[in-house]
Amino acid sequence: MNLSMKKHSKHKSSENDAYEIADSRVGDTNYRPGRTSGGWSIIDIAELGMMTALLEAGKHALDFLPNVELVTLLLIIFTLHFGLRTIAATFAFTAIETAFFGFQTWVIMYLYMWPALVLIVWLNRRKTSVWFFSILSGLYGLFFGAFCSIPYLFIGGINMAFTWWVAGIPYDIIHCIANFTLCLALFRPLNHAMNYILKITSR
Amino acid sequence: MKKSTKALIGIVLTAALIVSFALVYNRFRPRAGEGTKSYTLEVVDDAGAQNAYSGKTDSEYLSGIMDELVAEGDFTYDGSESEYGLFIMAVNGVTADYDTDGAYWSIMVNGEYGQYGADSQPVSDGDDFELVYEKAQ
Repeated sequence: MNLSMKKHSKHKSSENDAYEIADSRVGDTNYRPGRTSGGWSIIDIAELGMMTALLEAGKHALDFLPNVELVTLLLIIFTLHFGLRTIAATFAFTAIETAFFGFQTWVIMYLYMWPALVLIVWLNRRKTSVWFFSILSGLYGLFFGAFCSIPYLFIGGINMAFTWWVAGIPYDIIHCIANFTLCLALFRPLNHAMNYILKITSR
Repeated sequence: MKKSTKALIGIVLTAALIVSFALVYNRFRPRAGEGTKSYTLEVVDDAGAQNAYSGKTDSEYLSGIMDELVAEGDFTYDGSESEYGLFIMAVNGVTADYDTDGAYWSIMVNGEYGQYGADSQPVSDGDDFELVYEKAQ
């Protein structure tokens, strides 16, 4: 089967690092395949479930490596293909993680960190460079601790937030390098797979 | 501007941020505390020679200070657990054998005989401890 998606692409580019999105309706937040009226269609809910399952699998598959995760990359891919609906998957993901590990401070962080990533990617959905998303992914990892320290501003003031952030900087650097590398290596194959899946499911 | 140039600039800026973060970490990273309670510990051996130590500690008991000094390398002690707590048998290689010559290591706290064993003698800020080789009369 010819897996080439070029004839569907709206991100055609002569640059070597450009990727292609098969669905030209990407970014249209009103687009709901299978939707007959307002709200979520069955397909939407099924996609939400599959996105959440993949996020969980991506998270736990690399649990043995601290701060090396596939969640960032998967959310980038999902956002480029499903738009802002991906935010719902981040909430479902956070809910399942909370069920696993209990409610702690990180739950609050997850509730704004992952949707923020989706929003940033969505705002840059017209970018066509894999390098762009690899660098974005790396920067997101690097600043993850800094933005996660926000709740500590309210718990213990700026000193507590700063101390908490500084203590985690080595992990943020690992997060940055891992995110960048994973995105650079896996963005194309994952995007290709997503295009293929959406094509054979007649989206 | 070419995409490859933009990518290169992005990578360089990210690398610069990583270095900056590393510098911030190196400057402000959490370090082991020096301790908050100051103390002096003087050892008077069987020949009357004195060795004095001083520093700051967070140890709750005198034995904690002794362990810290051992870790620093200029102090040794040997002891055994007894029903009264840690029984000091040797300090800096000098053994006090009560069974042989009635000798023992006494603990002085701020100039007075301590009421506790080394592992239950509390440490307060500014305490002066002495470990003195003594012989029973």
